[in-house]
Amino acid sequence: MKIPRISPQTLRVLERFIEHPTAWRYGYELSRETGLKSGTLYPILMRLAKFSFLDTKWVTTEDGVPPRHTYRLTPKGGELVRSLPRAASAAGRVRRPAIGEGRA
Amino acid sequence: MMPVAYPRRIAALLLRFAIWIAPPDTLDWGHAMLAELDHVQGNWAVLLWSLGSAGVLAQHTLLSLIFPSCNRQTIPSGGNLFSKDDPVRKPALATTAACVITSLLSFVAPVFRQAFRVSLLPWQIVFKTDYRSLSPELQSIVKKAKQDHDAEALAFVAFRHPQSSEGARLADEAVRLDPKLIWIYAIVAVRGSSLPEIDRWVPAIEQFDPQNALPHLITAEKIDIDQVLRANVPHRAEDEPPAWQSAMACTFESAKLDTYSSQRKELDRRVLIRYRVGDPELIAGDGAAGFYGLPSYSVWDADRYAELVLASAQVLEAQGDTKAASEKYLAIAHFGKLLRSDVSALFLKRTQQAYTRLAALAAKSSRPAEAAFYAFLAGQERQTEAQESSFRYRRFSGNQVARWDADLARRSGAVMLLSGALLIATLFAVLLRGRSLRLSSFRPGRLAIALGVSSSAAFFVSSVVLRLSYQPYSEILQHYIRDGDQTSLTNLGDFLDHAYAPIGSGWLNPRQDYSSYFWFAVIALCALALLVAVLRYFKARPRANATI
Repeated sequence: MKIPRISPQTLRVLERFIEHPTAWRYGYELSRETGLKSGTLYPILMRLAKFSFLDTKWVTTEDGVPPRHTYRLTPKGGELVRSLPRAASAAGRVRRPAIGEGRA
Repeated sequence: MMPVAYPRRIAALLLRFAIWIAPPDTLDWGHAMLAELDHVQGNWAVLLWSLGSAGVLAQHTLLSLIFPSCNRQTIPSGGNLFSKDDPVRKPALATTAACVITSLLSFVAPVFRQAFRVSLLPWQIVFKTDYRSLSPELQSIVKKAKQDHDAEALAFVAFRHPQSSEGARLADEAVRLDPKLIWIYAIVAVRGSSLPEIDRWVPAIEQFDPQNALPHLITAEKIDIDQVLRANVPHRAEDEPPAWQSAMACTFESAKLDTYSSQRKELDRRVLIRYRVGDPELIAGDGAAGFYGLPSYSVWDADRYAELVLASAQVLEAQGDTKAASEKYLAIAHFGKLLRSDVSALFLKRTQQAYTRLAALAAKSSRPAEAAFYAFLAGQERQTEAQESSFRYRRFSGNQVARWDADLARRSGAVMLLSGALLIATLFAVLLRGRSLRLSSFRPGRLAIALGVSSSAAFFVSSVVLRLSYQPYSEILQHYIRDGDQTSLTNLGDFLDHAYAPIGSGWLNPRQDYSSYFWFAVIALCALALLVAVLRYFKARPRANATI
C-alpha cells in the first residue's frame, strides 16, 4: 500500500483510534485526547473519511439529545496505521492540553 | 455579568449560521460539530469550539464559491441526516427574479436611463481618455442637422464641441446657412479665445451689433493669449501692447454689454425640443451657466484696465486737469454699470474707487450736492461688494440639497454596478456548477442564494433611490424644455457639478467621504482574504501523494 504523507496532527488522531480499533469515537472526545482544537481536528477527520480511512455514523444516545457523529477506523485505515513507521507514530505522542480540559 | 447560557447560545447561533451557508457536502459535518457542542465543558471552550468549527465550514463555503466544480467529492459522513432543504430555493429565486426584473424594467423609462447615466458621471473622470471627440448624442444631432440644413442645431453643437476648431467650423457653417446667427460667433469665440477665425468674426459681430462691448473684449483676450503663446506673459495692464489697450478703451466706451445669453437659451431650447434631447449635461452641465453669462476673463481684463485708467486719472488730477480725470472715473463707473447685469464683485472695488474720487473732485470744486451723491454711490458699491462676496461664497458652496441628492445618485449608481456584477458572478458560478442552461439543473447552494438575494435586493433598492434622488432634477429639466422656465436651472447645474465628483475623492468636502474610505478598506480586505484563501487552497489541494 502506498503511504500518503501524514501530518503529525493526523498521526496523533490515528494513534487514538489504534488504541481501540473497533470502538466508535466522538469528536469532542478525540479533541480532548489529542489536544487538537475543532478547527484542526475536523478537517483531519473529513480528510480521513474522504480517503476511506474512517467509517462514520450517527448514533442516538438518549431521547431528546441530538444524535452524535461517531468515527471508527476502516480496515483500510487500520492497514494504514500499521504500515506507519514507528518513529513517525512516536512523534504523535507529544500531547498538548485540549480545549476546555480541566475546566468545569 | 453575562448569564451562563449566553456563550453557549452565541456559540450555537454562530455554528448554525455557518451550517446555513455551508455547501451541501459538508452539511453533516457541520451538524456533527454542532452536536458535540452540547458535550463541550466550559463557556470559553464552547465558544472556541464553535469558532473553530465555523472557520472550517466557512473555508469550505468560500472554496465552493470560488471553485464550484462538479467533480467536487462529497465527503462521506455516515448518513444524510441533514440534507439541504429545497423549499428555501423557490422563494429566494422568485425574490431575486422579481427584484432584478423590476429594476431592469426601470430602464425602459427614459428618466431612469438619464438618472443612471448621471450616476455614472464620476467614472467618466476615471475612465474617459478621449476628451476631444463628440458625445454620440451630439454626433447624431450634427449628422441630422447637416442633412436638414438646420443652422440652429449646428450652432447648438458648435457651442458644445470639445474641439474649438471644430466648433468654429460648425459656427461658420451655421452662419452660412442663416446669416442672422452672426451672434453665435461671439459665444464660440468666448470658448476658444485663440481661434484664428476671431480676426474675421469680430468685424462681423461689430457690424451686426455696433454698440456691444463683447467683440472688443474678445479682441483684447485674443491679443492677451497671443502674448502668452509667445511666452511673453503680461502681468500688468501697462505691459500689454497698444492694441490691447485700444480694444479695452473701446470696451469701456461701449453703450452695452450683451453676451447673447437670452438668444442662446432660446436657440438651445428650440433645438432640444426639435431633436428630443433629454441629456441634462447638454443643458446645464459643462459650465453652461457660465457660458450663458459673461466670459470669465472679461472681469479680469476690465479690472486690470480700470486700474490703469485710475492711475492715469490720478496723474491728470495731480496735473490739475480735473475734467479729463472725471471723464476717466466716469468711464470706469459706466463700465461697472454694464457689468452689473452679471455678478462681478471684483470690479465693484474699482467703481467704488472711481465714485470716491469723483466725490472728492466734486467737493474740491465746491459742488456739495454732487459730492454727496457720489459718496452715496461709493457707499452703495461697498455694501453691494460685501453682499456679492457672501452670495459668491454661498454659490461656491452650492445648494446643499442638490449636493446630497447628487451624493445619493452617484452612490446608488455605484451600488447598482457592484450588485449587478455580484449577481452576474453568482449566476455564472451557479451555471458552472449545474453545467447546463436548463432551469431544472440549477442547484444553487445556500451561499449562492444568499448572495443572489442580497445583491438583487441591493440592485433594486439602489435603483429606487437613484430614481427618487434624480426625479426633482428631471422635472426641472422638463419645465425648462417645455415652458422655458429657467428659475431652477442652477439647482440642476449644482446637482451635476456634485455628481461629477468621484466617490471617495473628497472633492470640496473631504469629511463627507470618510465612509467611502471605510468601505474601500472593507472591500480591499475582503479581496485580500479571498486571495489568501485561493492561494491556500491551491497549496493544500489534495494530490496523489497528499498529506492527510
